[in-house]
Amino acid sequence: MSELLDFQDAFVAALDGAPEGLSPWLGPDAGLAGLTVYRNTIAKGCVDALAANFPTVLSMVGEEWFRAAAALFAREAPPASAALQGYGEAFPAWLGRFPPAEALPYLAGVAHLDRLWTEALFAAEAPTLSAEALAGLAPQALAEGRLALHPSVRFAAFEAGLPSLWSAARAGETELDLPARAEALLCRRRDGVVAHRVIGEAETEFLRACRDGQPLAQAAERAALADPDVSVASLFAALIADGVFGGLNLETAR
Amino acid sequence: MTPTAGLGLKSQHYDDAVACDAAGLWFEVHPENYMSAGGPRLAALEAVRARHPLSLHGVGLSLAADANPDRQHLAALKALVDRFEPFVVSEHLAWSTHRGAHQPDLLPFPRSRAALVRIADNIGRTQDALARRVLIENPSLYLPLKGHDLDEVDFLKALVAATGCGLLVDVNNVFVSARNLGYSAEAYVDALPAEAIGEIHLAGHGLDEGGSGLLIDTHGAPVAEPVWALYRRLVRRVGPRPTLIERDDDIPAFQVLMAERDRAASELAALEAVGV
Repeated sequence: MSELLDFQDAFVAALDGAPEGLSPWLGPDAGLAGLTVYRNTIAKGCVDALAANFPTVLSMVGEEWFRAAAALFAREAPPASAALQGYGEAFPAWLGRFPPAEALPYLAGVAHLDRLWTEALFAAEAPTLSAEALAGLAPQALAEGRLALHPSVRFAAFEAGLPSLWSAARAGETELDLPARAEALLCRRRDGVVAHRVIGEAETEFLRACRDGQPLAQAAERAALADPDVSVASLFAALIADGVFGGLNLETAR
Repeated sequence: MTPTAGLGLKSQHYDDAVACDAAGLWFEVHPENYMSAGGPRLAALEAVRARHPLSLHGVGLSLAADANPDRQHLAALKALVDRFEPFVVSEHLAWSTHRGAHQPDLLPFPRSRAALVRIADNIGRTQDALARRVLIENPSLYLPLKGHDLDEVDFLKALVAATGCGLLVDVNNVFVSARNLGYSAEAYVDALPAEAIGEIHLAGHGLDEGGSGLLIDTHGAPVAEPVWALYRRLVRRVGPRPTLIERDDDIPAFQVLMAERDRAASELAALEAVGV
């Protein structure tokens, strides 16, 4: 092993609270105050990144609670990349296991929705399929076509109304309640802005079918099965208006 | 247009940056903040770049790690270089990635001859991947280390000789490190090789709130007067160089930063007037 790597192993151990290994590189009168400066800077970098990526969690638990929890998470799961806008993929699940969050059982779900929103913000650019592009198609061709989701589309379903709670918190409301009904959230970036709305089971099934590469007819069938009362035509029109689709593949062979 | 004095670009100032038409103005960003597939940040940077020269100032390549620069990171950096055609690309004489974990800071190391070989190799790999020269910035230091074979200026000179890289001189880092580790900031700037210097950074610092007496490179305050004096001393010797005002914390209005930037532009213009 090289001396440089030996030093870096010792330095990282010292950051983690075990400075003994660093002594070969420290002068006799070297205090460890400098080490604290580095430790604080690293912690601030991680915590600031998590605060930017999970703003709804932050708004619900407050600055002090959030920064303390985020600092603990960062020590267990430091960033894997210097591109910190992607940091925190494991944070929602970690919050779900974090004992002080036991009184806030919805927190992991809120973090999960923040994550979807952030992913939508930084996803690839791609054209959006318009209603006009579909207008001239024969019904049979359309039914057999496969709709591709826009790269920024993210959605997740929950057994309770977390999406409504998250949306209210995101809008700055402080009186939050958790509806008992099952809900899903749909995020999609359009013109540089992430739009989100709460969707029901029929829309969720429709989107899942598209994600799975199934033809439109099958997506419509899954939506109708999920909610027999829903108008699939208007559901489809609303999703097109949302700009959820990136393209339509008319080749029938799989 | 020749870039003179520039500003670190902050997301809250995108519109101001696009609208501003000050002569010689340029902007600098950390490429890591733009390493995403898409989104509004990249679009905003395109709009700024359409009006002004741009510099990419990396903070995450970890050139002083005992490992090759991360291939994905280099590829992402190359994609940004190709897309935004910066007039300068720079990185730090520091490490931040260790055994797969990224520590968001610029960490120190003993400047041994073995470290010199390793880091020169990493700079060479970076320049090969980007197909261009990079500038290397002197770090801010907080911990006195043993095991240095070379002082920092000699180490930087050796990197320039070995790789053909240039130098980004952060005058505030010189000031902070000299104060923290007890050497002469003036002697340091006087020893820098003029021909290698491609850019200069100016930023604010603060006293450690933890009471250690250390100065911290916070980028959270205006440039201090002794740092301006050190800057003047440097540019009077080496001549004008693109000079950046960095501010990353407690960020004021765009016009406030522009006033500091204009002061750097005046310093540079004064040099031209006396023929330095």
